[in-house]
Amino acid sequence: MNNTFNLQRFGLLLKRQWLEFGKIFLITLLVVLGVFIAFYGYNLLPLGNNLGYNVLNFREPLFMVFGFLFISIIASTYFAHLGQKSRAVIDLMIPASIFEKFLAGVCFTGILASASFIILFYLTDLAFVSYVKGHLHDVGAATDSATYFFAKNNPNQFKPLYLAPLFITSVFLLGSVYFNRFHYIKTAISVMVFSGIWTYIIVKATKALLSGKVPIHENANNGKETAELWVFIGLSVLTLIIWSITYVRLKEKEV
Amino acid sequence: MIKINNLNFGYSKNRPLFSDMSMQLSFGHIYGLLGKNGAGKSSLLKNLAGLVYAQSGQLDVLGFDPAKRQPALLQQICFIPEEFYLPAVKVDAYVKANAAFYPNFDHNYFASLLAEFDIPVGQKLINMSYGQKKKVIISFGLATQAKLVIMDEPTNGLDIPSKAQFRKIMASVLTDERCIIISTHQVRDLDNLIDTVIMLDENKVALKASVDEITEKLCFKRVKEIDETVIYAEPSLAGYNAVVPNYHQEDSRLDIELLFNAVLAEKNKLKPIFN
Repeated sequence: MNNTFNLQRFGLLLKRQWLEFGKIFLITLLVVLGVFIAFYGYNLLPLGNNLGYNVLNFREPLFMVFGFLFISIIASTYFAHLGQKSRAVIDLMIPASIFEKFLAGVCFTGILASASFIILFYLTDLAFVSYVKGHLHDVGAATDSATYFFAKNNPNQFKPLYLAPLFITSVFLLGSVYFNRFHYIKTAISVMVFSGIWTYIIVKATKALLSGKVPIHENANNGKETAELWVFIGLSVLTLIIWSITYVRLKEKEV
Repeated sequence: MIKINNLNFGYSKNRPLFSDMSMQLSFGHIYGLLGKNGAGKSSLLKNLAGLVYAQSGQLDVLGFDPAKRQPALLQQICFIPEEFYLPAVKVDAYVKANAAFYPNFDHNYFASLLAEFDIPVGQKLINMSYGQKKKVIISFGLATQAKLVIMDEPTNGLDIPSKAQFRKIMASVLTDERCIIISTHQVRDLDNLIDTVIMLDENKVALKASVDEITEKLCFKRVKEIDETVIYAEPSLAGYNAVVPNYHQEDSRLDIELLFNAVLAEKNKLKPIFN
């Protein structure tokens, strides 16, 4: 028997976790859908002459802020029950390897939660935008403004941000296994303190190293490609490191 | 099958719970694990199940290191904790989600145990009483056919008929390929069930002996007066309940509660008898 990974056992574990995690997850998705509909409905309905050039401006902040909250909360609750003795015993004694338990956590938080949020946002957006498009001629709205907004977003603008959901969920998944209580708040505070210190160090180091110097190899894209590469590498490495720490913490988890 | 060598464990470095604890447990026995509050009964069980990690020493459970929490070992352990959580699903959904992890799970046996315990199978687990939940989890654990059955205060929350059923069921599940360890404060619930007594005290195993060995070496009887042969005695209505050395090979029934108090109070007198 492979004591590290077995596909059949992993499938069983996903099914088992869904039994507990799935119901709360689906309810949360319903809440998310409600919030989307509320935002779109409040801003777009009833359709009239309100379709100005900035009427859809709420989409990006809604997607980013609410998306961050959703995936971070889901990730923060995944292993949270291991802080409770009564639940931790049963879960740790399930005959699946620690790697499989960890991987199930990554699948549910990093992949399922992010993908569901994006799909739900896309479908809600598509439904409302289609509705608006279909009624543009009825309300005599400025078609150019609307077209401009519908075509504005370019998903290839900053590719490394595709990794952001995995990075965010990895941080909060670690928080859920690291802390025994108040996982979300403690993780958020830790992230704030850590990023504050990190930013301070980076700013001071940059000032000390680059003060009074000028760039000599700046390319036509104002260094965007280099930045993209570094952010991609940075996020990937950080996500992998945080996942590794999560795995070790899960391995060391005691009741 | 279970080998504990020089186990050192504690929740903080300054307050060890076990110091160089060693013992061996084998198949075909029901061990009763006894000790005062805080003596480390639950912690020892958790060490065996890999739920906590020892500071040093070796633990070998069915040929595995429990700290690694390998599925091959976890399949062979049925751990019934004192505190547990069951999800808001019906019994069949719970079994569907969990039984597949145990290759030897016996569905018919599980159904028969539920029937014996009179469990309302159509009800959601979360809506059941503590005692009913406990019976479900005991039934599930036994149906896994695990080789090592670990129970922490299993009779807590069970009503009087259920305790009798529990004893009957536990007596029937013991086989030559199974080891059962039961930790409890309610020693009367284990009467006639356990065949070996393990008592923990002062970071060590204060006593590990079979019921036969204990009754061969000690006699539990009622005396009117205490003389120098009495190791330990407690006043009763008609004299004293006493523990005395069994010099004359008298037959007596093991009084676990009396033995427990005797071990705690007269460790030095009992040590030479069992060594």
